[in-house]
Amino acid sequence: MRRQAVTLLWRAGIAAALVCAIGVLPWLSHTDPALTVLKARSADRDPTPEVLADIRAQLGLEQGPFHLLGDWLGGLWRGDAGRSWISGSEVTPAVLQALGVSLLLMAVALAVAVVTAALICARTLWLGAHRRLDGRRAGGSGSAVLAALPEFLTASVLATVVGVQWGWLPALGWYGPQWTVLPALALGLPAGAVLGRLLDDLLPGAFAEPWALAATARGLPGRTVARQALRRCLPGLLPNTGLFVVGLTGGSVTVEQIFDIPGLGRTTLQAALAQDLPVLQAGTLALVLLAAAAAGLAHVLTRLLIGPALRDGALPSLHRRSPSAHTILPFAYAGLLAGVIALGLPRDPLALDTAERLASPSPAHPFGTDALGRDVLARVAHGALDTLLLALAITAVTLLTGVALGLLPRLTGPLVDTVTALPPVLVALLVTAIVGSGTATPALAVAAVAWAPLAAHTSALLRQERAALHLTATRALGAGPCFLLRHELLPAIVPPVTRHALLRLPGIALALASLAFLGLGAQPPSPEWGLLLAENQPYAERAPWAVLAPAAVLALLGALAVTAAGGVRRGRRRRRRRTEPVVPLPEQHPATQELVKTG
Amino acid sequence: MGQNVRRRLRPLIALALAPVLAGCFASGGGTDAAGDAQDGSRLRVALAFPPAENLSPYGADSTILSRLGVTEGLTALDANGTAAPALAAFWQQENDRTWLFTLREATFQDGSAVTPAAVATALTHATQAKPVPAALSGVTLTAKAEGSTGVRITTEDPDPVLPLRLTSPALAVFSGKAYGTQDKVDPVGTATGPFELTKVMGATAATLDRYDDYWGGRAQATGIDVKFVPDGTARASALRTDQVDLAEAIPVAQAATLDKATREVTATTRTTSLLLNTEKGAFKDAALRAAARRAVDTSAFANGVYEGYADAGAGIYGPAVTWAAGKRTEPVGRAEPGKPEGTRITLATYDNRPELPEAAQVLKQQLEKAGFEVTLEVREYSRLESDALDGRFDAFVLARNTLVDTGDPVSVLASDYTCDGGYNIAQLCDKDVDRAVAKAEGTADTAERQDAAMAAEARILGTDAVVPLVHQRIITGVAASVRGALLDPYERTLVGVGTRR
Repeated sequence: MRRQAVTLLWRAGIAAALVCAIGVLPWLSHTDPALTVLKARSADRDPTPEVLADIRAQLGLEQGPFHLLGDWLGGLWRGDAGRSWISGSEVTPAVLQALGVSLLLMAVALAVAVVTAALICARTLWLGAHRRLDGRRAGGSGSAVLAALPEFLTASVLATVVGVQWGWLPALGWYGPQWTVLPALALGLPAGAVLGRLLDDLLPGAFAEPWALAATARGLPGRTVARQALRRCLPGLLPNTGLFVVGLTGGSVTVEQIFDIPGLGRTTLQAALAQDLPVLQAGTLALVLLAAAAAGLAHVLTRLLIGPALRDGALPSLHRRSPSAHTILPFAYAGLLAGVIALGLPRDPLALDTAERLASPSPAHPFGTDALGRDVLARVAHGALDTLLLALAITAVTLLTGVALGLLPRLTGPLVDTVTALPPVLVALLVTAIVGSGTATPALAVAAVAWAPLAAHTSALLRQERAALHLTATRALGAGPCFLLRHELLPAIVPPVTRHALLRLPGIALALASLAFLGLGAQPPSPEWGLLLAENQPYAERAPWAVLAPAAVLALLGALAVTAAGGVRRGRRRRRRRTEPVVPLPEQHPATQELVKTG
Repeated sequence: MGQNVRRRLRPLIALALAPVLAGCFASGGGTDAAGDAQDGSRLRVALAFPPAENLSPYGADSTILSRLGVTEGLTALDANGTAAPALAAFWQQENDRTWLFTLREATFQDGSAVTPAAVATALTHATQAKPVPAALSGVTLTAKAEGSTGVRITTEDPDPVLPLRLTSPALAVFSGKAYGTQDKVDPVGTATGPFELTKVMGATAATLDRYDDYWGGRAQATGIDVKFVPDGTARASALRTDQVDLAEAIPVAQAATLDKATREVTATTRTTSLLLNTEKGAFKDAALRAAARRAVDTSAFANGVYEGYADAGAGIYGPAVTWAAGKRTEPVGRAEPGKPEGTRITLATYDNRPELPEAAQVLKQQLEKAGFEVTLEVREYSRLESDALDGRFDAFVLARNTLVDTGDPVSVLASDYTCDGGYNIAQLCDKDVDRAVAKAEGTADTAERQDAAMAAEARILGTDAVVPLVHQRIITGVAASVRGALLDPYERTLVGVGTRR
């Protein structure tokens, strides 16, 4: 009980710190809110000193951030989150309305994700129920590809093909149930693919446990066994699902824009850019509360599903049977990637020729040309080095931070939820305000979010490892905490978290590009991959190749990371005979996965 | 809880959830019920800019009201850029500071008559708004009722363009009911136009009904259902899936996806130009500015980047300013182009309009061919503007409406290119330019004012502080069934009395 009170206090502290940080953001970053508010109200209006002075007086900016913050907090007590600086209308109803829209979108997306995951696991469940799982190869590559699709690409394709060309479902707006289908598919398909993969990896372990054998021997129908196996695995997925729920509510800006949905993602993005602090503070607070609620709900559900067993520590780790590792695939993927890069490097990525714009693939331009007539193959190849090096560096940093912080789960648990819930733009703005807009800022902004899922993963592994018998034995032999950490815990935790971090590499490359509009990160005409995707997005329908080529190489990179990670696993098994407990990778951080998810 | 109880509760839970879920959708903007057959039906319109300030008439939202035919001022802007009668039937200048406007017989949408007192109240409220409407910045005016049909407007300083100024949508006239206790104006059912706002659903949608007693006759469409769709691709999709009849501002990238018959192209007063920093950095040197000007090939922008939806840059004013081309003179006092020899420059632009970063990249290649070393800087506009105004960049690509707010051609020259200009990104401070602009500002006669503006333009172009790249055309998506959409180069009208489907 006391522990829970401390956690609650810690959560409240984080939320308060966030709200205060937002409250002083413009003063920290030296960006005049009067100017950004004016531009949000009227882009064409010239910022003359008189106009700015009027706005300052109207908003009470002279009183300084702390007075404003105090006023806002005072009103919050009565449920009044102030008035928007842009429109002057009340914040509370507007934010609640947007939150409702976002929650509904997220709920339908979750349903889509569940169906997708079910379809992916169906075969394993069926085989498991009939006890025919032995010797089955692990992992479907279809789900890996699905999981690697950038969200905006799925959304654009769904909107254009299903919505506009076939006309089956409305592609625009948010007026009733049939409007929810396409955006939910765009969000839910990749997420469901990731969840499905994780579940699919866990299920064989559950079917291999003694109770399953006993149940079958006693003559229980295969259906019942399958149901229990599912129930046995679900708690492992709940924390990931919670992060998915939280991240999508505030972070699905791209999908909200493509389908014109008035959700919280767009609301907070606009507020962050215009420095409309009351809206931004209220939106952030709503998201943080949601994160807490989702974490609590996941906790309660876990209790309901396998409560007593969890409490008594009577759950053995799920031991996965050794998956048949791929030996040729990683080399094939690496070869393909290297081939593309080698073909493109001799070409000029910057030479533009507007007469050749949006040319379809031809012998002269194997991947076609982009909107300025530049060779897409050349741009993909030249962008590879920058993209990969930076993404690798960020991955390494987040891995270190994630593992270190994940070892202190009670401290970082609430922090992980909160960071996941925040809109990525807000994180970037906060980081910029603190460290200034230097060359390292974009990397820091991405890293500030990307450590969270790795820390969650580490914490989950830690919980399982601590309960393992061999640890008790080692402790009984007189080992201290340091020894345990160095010789038992870290060796068990680091390899799977490293694999997880590698999986997230493409996502990090895209997250970097999504900050470009703040003046952070790569600037055009740099052929950085994320930037390639972003600049060709408006032409996705007319020149699909210009988007598909960078998306394909990113997917290839993801596939390479997945298969090469199998190599890490095998190396470790040779060293230690003990089979390694497998805990699901926590759901990718949905905030940074705004553009891509790789499973 | 037993299975049975749970089952029995299910419909109840569903019932309880239904309104909650309904609250999570956006309101749909009116019914789709078709009106009388001979009367035309409701129009469905997708606008690009959602109301930022609850449709307050004193900011940018006033354009929304004016485009939808909700509001009117005393005067309106006609195709030639001159003031035409609207609520005022005619007007005369009594002396250089006083004008007398004679009202026509009209009624507000709440049924009350448009009286001189009501007009004076409306204008007085506009002058007291904070911040003051853009059309009134730097102007002090008082409006007084005169007799039963007259409104006398007095300005503190002589204002030769007052009738033009009053065309601004921000100076629209509302009935007394619109002005509540606070400084807010409620445009619902209080304006004078052919369409009456009935419901506003935040920043997502609005419904309008025809105002039957409009002085200019009954509108053909029975009403308008407006959706505010900020994403250009989404607007194009809405038109293609027949969800709307009119979609404004289709991005160039999406134009090719629309049927040719549904693309209506109008020249606008927006000019995209390259501004060169004359105060510090490389372009302080007039010879280098001339070199940059010579390096730019404007046809590559109009045809390449804008896919033909633009005209190559000719001057500060484009072809939408109909009188400009005939009065244009050669730029005065241009320097001889120098040799850049690897001079490093920063070229900045913003990504709110997708064509600008592309134009900047083409520009980068053209300038590098001429010998400059160019670094690009692309940000969101509000993150860029103050740096640009402070002169942090050597060059800036800007899309600018050249007939800002008032429809007066001179004000853009004064704000953008004079020493005291409030929006002088080129940091230009040139005595000859200031003198030419001041001369134009002081000229009252329309034709002479236009001549003086063109003379000032020639002076400004002579400094090479600005290199016009393209004059944009705006693409409006108009469904094949729609007739009579008002495609206006000044972007102030869209739906009028004769618009129907």
